[in-house]
Amino acid sequence: MSSTAPQVRSRLPRVAPRTAQAAVQRARLTVVPRGRTRAPRVPFVTLVSLILLGGVIGLLLFNTSMQQASFQATALERQASDLGARQEALEMDLQALRDPARIARAAQRQGMVIPTSAGILDLGTGAISGAAEPAAGAPLPLAPPAAQRPSFLDPAPVRVRVPAAVGSSGGSTATGNDQGNRGRNGAASPTR
Amino acid sequence: MGIGFLLIAMVLSVFAARLVQLQAVDPGSYAQLAAAEGTVQVMLPAARGEITDRNGDPLAESVDGTMIVADPHVTSDHATELARFLTRRLDVDYADTLAALRAEDSRFQYIARQVPTSKAEDVVADAGDEGYPGLFTENDPLRIYPNGDVAANVVGFLGTPEADGSAHALAGLEDRFNEYLSGTDGEARYQMGAGNQIPLGDHTVTPAVDGHDLRTTIDRDLQWYAQRVLQQTVEGAKGESGIAVVMDSRTGQLLALADYPTYDAADPQEYDSSLYKSSALTDVYEPGSVEKALTLSSLIDAGLATPRTRLKVPGKLYRQDRPIGDYWDHDTLRLTLAGVLAKSSNVGTVLAADEFKPGQLRKYLTAYGLGKRTGVGLGGETRGILPRGAAWTDQVDDRISFGQSLSVNAVQMAAAINAIANGGVRVDPSLVMGSATLDNGTTIGTGQTTERRVISERAAHQTMLMMERVVDPDAGVAPRAAVAGYRVAGKTGTAQRVGDECACYDGSTTVSFAGFAPADDPRFTVYVVVHDPVAGSGGGSVAGPAFSQLMSYALRRYGVPPTGKKPNQIPVEW
Repeated sequence: MSSTAPQVRSRLPRVAPRTAQAAVQRARLTVVPRGRTRAPRVPFVTLVSLILLGGVIGLLLFNTSMQQASFQATALERQASDLGARQEALEMDLQALRDPARIARAAQRQGMVIPTSAGILDLGTGAISGAAEPAAGAPLPLAPPAAQRPSFLDPAPVRVRVPAAVGSSGGSTATGNDQGNRGRNGAASPTR
Repeated sequence: MGIGFLLIAMVLSVFAARLVQLQAVDPGSYAQLAAAEGTVQVMLPAARGEITDRNGDPLAESVDGTMIVADPHVTSDHATELARFLTRRLDVDYADTLAALRAEDSRFQYIARQVPTSKAEDVVADAGDEGYPGLFTENDPLRIYPNGDVAANVVGFLGTPEADGSAHALAGLEDRFNEYLSGTDGEARYQMGAGNQIPLGDHTVTPAVDGHDLRTTIDRDLQWYAQRVLQQTVEGAKGESGIAVVMDSRTGQLLALADYPTYDAADPQEYDSSLYKSSALTDVYEPGSVEKALTLSSLIDAGLATPRTRLKVPGKLYRQDRPIGDYWDHDTLRLTLAGVLAKSSNVGTVLAADEFKPGQLRKYLTAYGLGKRTGVGLGGETRGILPRGAAWTDQVDDRISFGQSLSVNAVQMAAAINAIANGGVRVDPSLVMGSATLDNGTTIGTGQTTERRVISERAAHQTMLMMERVVDPDAGVAPRAAVAGYRVAGKTGTAQRVGDECACYDGSTTVSFAGFAPADDPRFTVYVVVHDPVAGSGGGSVAGPAFSQLMSYALRRYGVPPTGKKPNQIPVEW
């Protein structure tokens, strides 16, 4: 048994002396020479500058476009409200045209009257019922009666009796017209 | 060196003190001041709901209105030119405008209010172009009534808005449903710079809640026609006033509710304020013979008579206090109950009504809805006068049986006659489609109407047969109420009227006609009343033709074909 160990030891360099040497050779550390090669700075700085510049410009453009959109929104809103007002005005016109009183006036101008009877034709059977007669009778009063104003808006005329002026011009030759004028003058300024 | 540090320390401590003042002492108000700078707050006015007719045609609608205001500090220099310009473009008075433009110590003067927005903007812009600055516009909603006097009595109107811009309702449904129509104003708050909204700025909007639309049961065209026919009738009879009611027999919906005289809702200040109402609901009068239809139908329902019941009718009936007579002189007549109604005999009605047990007639009339408000939604409605208790004496009982000594409003009476048309079932009349809430919290409308049986279907049918004899050219008194081609049932009324001045029967009358058609399948009930027509007028000759016109128009408008049956021939005499 004691002979086996030297055998192994002696055998080892014999089996792989060269690979071991290479390994040792490899394992030996040496100082690496200081790297003198520098990456070029210019592209990096350019890149960062570009990104910054792009960001700023982009932000500016974005802001500008938002402002632009806001201007446009305000203008469009104004236009929408104008158009809404126009539509309302047109609808008002339409309502005025559809007013039954207006239609009746137009019809009456053409000589139409509202009939008082009608014949009815049943489309299914073709039977005619009802007692259709030519329309007759007085046309309807189309205008509502005139407003009777409240009394305070329509006061009774104020009449002032003025004593006949003595020795007024004309005397017996005064015409009715003159007298009327004199009366009006007197009434207009009763304090005179 | 030391002095330099001291100086710096002093300056810094001043800054620190200012910092403490800004941040510690009342920072809130400063924040608000900063926020208010450039912040615009705009009220978003809620649109007031429309009032429409049953087909959606507007009776009252709101449009975007604008007020034009002037700053006299700016305008006084060119006041005369500007006033002339404004007078030309707007409907304003020259002298008033000039005074407003020259007002001293004022920065705010109204020039014109409730101008359609597009017009106001044009005028202000043109004024600026012509070199007259100092005009501004502000929101001022405008209410328009496109149909003038049509349904004005029902719709009412708005006055000049209150100072805070809220509506100032003065009459009709506008007044009764003010809250329902008004809605709630909203608010927008945003930041402005140079006339434009700042993007990303503070922006909050509380949207306005618009008011509800109110759809009425009124048919605009029919209402217009009813008003014109009523006008023609009242003016033709030289009457004082008149009422016309058109009702859908099956649903009780009021298709037309016309008053004469009435006013123009678009121009109400031209009319006396006593007209701002619907006299069909606010005014009471004695219905006269139309009420006989209710008395006799009740008799039939109670099993106390039939249309063929025979009555001997003397010319005069001497009762407790004064004799009861008919409108025409006659000897003793042999009339059936149908004849009593067809000829409108007071004496015959009193004799027939003697069969009632005490209190029975009143119970029926109450069931018909007399003496109780109809509650259709308009204000100032009267409940009428139906005597009760000790006031219901024998004499009163006699007179009530033919329609005197009790008072009704026109819609009550139309609803009562409609109960006969509707097979004996009274439907509450209604003026509002669906359901809507009055300012007093009551919900009304077609969705809330109730029905109740007043008389049996058989009694209603027999009453209809009797009423049909009224328009018979031989048997009845109102042949001019007939509608060609249709069966018509109706009843005339010529009542003594209580005058305004003496509060007694002053010899004037109220003539009326109520009826329905087609008699054997009623679709419409029409009631026409004329107060104080020229002497000698009767319900058949004055109100009858108006009834015929309105009924014929309604039947034609709604395409109701004739039933094709012949009118009945129940005997009126025996």
